[in-house]
Amino acid sequence: MSKEEDSPVIRRTTRSSSSAPVKSNETEIKKNAVTYSPTINDLAFGEDKLSFNDLLSSFPGRHIQIKEIMRILGPQDCPMFPQFIYGGASTGKTSVVLQIFRHLNRPFVYASCRTCYSQRILFECILNQLLLHKKNAANGYSSAKRCEKPSDFVNFLREAVANVTNSLKGNLGELGGSKLGGGPNGSMLYLIFDNLELVREWDKSSCILPFLFNLSNILKMPEVGFIFISNTSPDTYYSNIGYLEPIPVYFPEYTEEDLRQIFLRSQSNRKLYSSFLDIVLRPFCRITRKVDELAAAFSSLFQKYCEPLSDLTSVPNEEMKRKLFSHFQPHIATSLNEIFWILSEPFLEVEPRSETMQKGITRKLEGDQEFAEMDFHMSTSAKYLLISAFLASRNPATLDASLFDSTGGSESRKRKRKASEKSMEQKEVAEQESLLKGPGTFPLERLLAIFQCITSVLDGYLDEEEHANDLLKVGRGDGLMSDVLLQLSSLCNANFIIKGGSCPLETTTRYRSTISEDMALKIARSLKFPLANYLYRR
Amino acid sequence: MGLQSDAEKAQSIIRSRLCNSSFVFKPLSDSPDSNYSKLKFIISSSITEGCNNSILLLGPRGSGKLAVLELVIYDLLQEHSDLISVIKLNGLLHNDDNCAFKEIARQLCLEHHLVFSKMASFDDNSQFMIAMLRECGLAHKTIIFVLDEFDSFAQGKQRLLYSLLDAMQSVTSQAVVIGVSCRLDADQLLEKRVRSRFSHRKLLFLPLSMEDVQRLLEHLLFLPVNTGLPHDFASQFNGKLRKVLADERFKEIIASCLNVQSTINNLLRFLFVAVSYMEPKLGFLSLENFKNALLSIQRQPKQEGIRDCSILELYILVCMKRLEVKEQNSYNFASVMKEYKSIHDSFHTSDYYARNVCLRAFERLLQRELICFTDSRGHGQSVEFRQVKLLISFGELQEGLKSYRSYPAILQKLLDR
Repeated sequence: MSKEEDSPVIRRTTRSSSSAPVKSNETEIKKNAVTYSPTINDLAFGEDKLSFNDLLSSFPGRHIQIKEIMRILGPQDCPMFPQFIYGGASTGKTSVVLQIFRHLNRPFVYASCRTCYSQRILFECILNQLLLHKKNAANGYSSAKRCEKPSDFVNFLREAVANVTNSLKGNLGELGGSKLGGGPNGSMLYLIFDNLELVREWDKSSCILPFLFNLSNILKMPEVGFIFISNTSPDTYYSNIGYLEPIPVYFPEYTEEDLRQIFLRSQSNRKLYSSFLDIVLRPFCRITRKVDELAAAFSSLFQKYCEPLSDLTSVPNEEMKRKLFSHFQPHIATSLNEIFWILSEPFLEVEPRSETMQKGITRKLEGDQEFAEMDFHMSTSAKYLLISAFLASRNPATLDASLFDSTGGSESRKRKRKASEKSMEQKEVAEQESLLKGPGTFPLERLLAIFQCITSVLDGYLDEEEHANDLLKVGRGDGLMSDVLLQLSSLCNANFIIKGGSCPLETTTRYRSTISEDMALKIARSLKFPLANYLYRR
Repeated sequence: MGLQSDAEKAQSIIRSRLCNSSFVFKPLSDSPDSNYSKLKFIISSSITEGCNNSILLLGPRGSGKLAVLELVIYDLLQEHSDLISVIKLNGLLHNDDNCAFKEIARQLCLEHHLVFSKMASFDDNSQFMIAMLRECGLAHKTIIFVLDEFDSFAQGKQRLLYSLLDAMQSVTSQAVVIGVSCRLDADQLLEKRVRSRFSHRKLLFLPLSMEDVQRLLEHLLFLPVNTGLPHDFASQFNGKLRKVLADERFKEIIASCLNVQSTINNLLRFLFVAVSYMEPKLGFLSLENFKNALLSIQRQPKQEGIRDCSILELYILVCMKRLEVKEQNSYNFASVMKEYKSIHDSFHTSDYYARNVCLRAFERLLQRELICFTDSRGHGQSVEFRQVKLLISFGELQEGLKSYRSYPAILQKLLDR
């Protein structure tokens, strides 16, 4: 989603608050109440119009979709069937629709089911916009109407829409057909529901989804148009209640050619960037064709590509390109296997929607490269705790005694049995099972026991080798144990260890470690801890 | 320019016709054995004879049950407006009894110019309704209750239905209860005490016959010759349209549209898209418009989803498919990765990426809903270890691969074995 997409709600807020930026609080409220009360014109984009050609050129690769949506919207004041716009994330659905409304300058109400995260908030958000109500300090940030049930919503909506369309018609009548007034075009109102896929998770038992789909039928007002925008295709909405299917409009993923145009749009030195894209676009497209992810990857790569260049504005010739390529080539393969770099300074024209995607902290930290470069800043005891959690998750509990006996380590543990065919088979099945089950759970006591064993063994090692590393010279037991519960809770908060899955028989909580083996090994290496000796392998 | 504006006018005339359900159903209500005539007869007889009645209108969604009913009520209101008052409820909105009684009271108050109290309790409202029924019965006024989505009123304790139908047992009241539902077994959902009070009249709404479709098309698409539009444009438009309608290929298109779903609403939707595809510059509806409309309505979302995938995502799908072929019915990301690695080990594909890159691709597949978790809860387990399943069949995957622009040939090979 591109930058020019700003939801109308935000736009209206900025416009109103910018009118009185320096005044004191009271006067601002007063001004809001007296001179700036939202008018009917605020339902459309108003003064900053967009020509059709600008609209098309601002969305390369989306011409067919723009024309299709406009066709279904039809001429001014023409009733329409509900529209259902779907396509993967970051294919420009929302921004295309909003820019089309900017071009047409027709009144609309936009509500995203992501920001309006419950039935009541969604209803009230729509009604607030229709009733030209703005939440502010004067009204205690309350909504115009309190509305929780669909039945109330329909009654209010009918009333509000009738008012709005009447005043829109009145507006048109006054202007006498001349469109100079800057008011919205036409008296038809459009309701846009964005991120509809989230509604499915709101309340499993509620009938909000069939209600929304049937809303146009329930209202029976031809002067209201409905547009639904969703990440997922119409067939994911089927339920046993059923609904009248809206008209589908599909936004496919961008092709390689479209992507090239999109990336070139924001560049100052197009020739240079184009030669860069020649190299990277194809391999990256094999992994993903999402604009946001690619933009994130390309932004850092382009800097690397440009490193040998002194003058970024020069147009590269063939020889130069070859030189740049040979310099750059080694980076490609490694960067393909990386995910998601976060730059220190925001550079992107097309902003990655990282905040909207659900990503745990673990994910960002899991990549190998990240660990190589940024050291894992954690206290030593937290690292030990993490390792012991990892061991507790991977090793069967029955082997604890033999692994952590007084001799320490498992060097003595040798299994020299010949593998028969049957045992091999069993082994395979067990392996599959362990893959399916994932890391096991463990109670707190076991974690603490392993932790204590590990740290005591470590002391033994240190004594033997007389390796007096002052970093690791921690007092036996007590020093490390002092705040171990505190560390554990912070590790839980950081998602390295998950709480939950309590056993039904005993009431204690069980834990589970989420870190991968690579990461555990890395931590162990940083502690010089022989992790491999303690891992049980089948 | 003249042609273009005429064409735009024609387009908006047809579009508003398609959106106006009472216009659509006009021609279907002429014949004496249509649902319209039957329904009108039943209701008007119970109005004139002053008796109670209850009917169920059943038919698939979008077959025009409510539209016909509304047409009937509209006509009856024209005939004897002072003898009827209509209360409309919708199961999607008023499925809890409290809310339904409130809405009934609200509409009754509105109709009879009384003051409606928001604070009235459930008991107040239900007593008010019964009192109103009695009063209206004494005044020889029939109350028509329209219960849309009737099946959702039949959930729970059915208190609304019971008190409505029970009140109708008394001699003084005069009411018609009309249930509208797309569940054909709607009357089986009723409790015994409700069912015994319900008269089991049912009207079925059947799919359109071919003659009906023909009549509807003519009724909806031909422009009026005498009003608004210039005469020769309208007649030219109608002439060209007649040619299209007579075309064999057009009949095929209509048939394939109705084969999927032969309800009126589906037909209307199809016509709507066709009309909006009309080029104002050309000025007339062409066969091409109808063809495009069919294509844009009959979508195959799963195929589109597969076409949207990147190569890596396809690999993951193929790996999952292979696991299923191996009769390993439950798998998660970790086991998919094992399969992915074994493919790489034996074929040395060029597309071998790190585990976390694959995890991202895996998550994108989840987002596209080509795969999903088998359990909905899965708390305390990370994405990698939750069990997943494919939401596409073998055939769909294969067809999707074929329509993919340039996929590695190895994928097809992997899929076949």
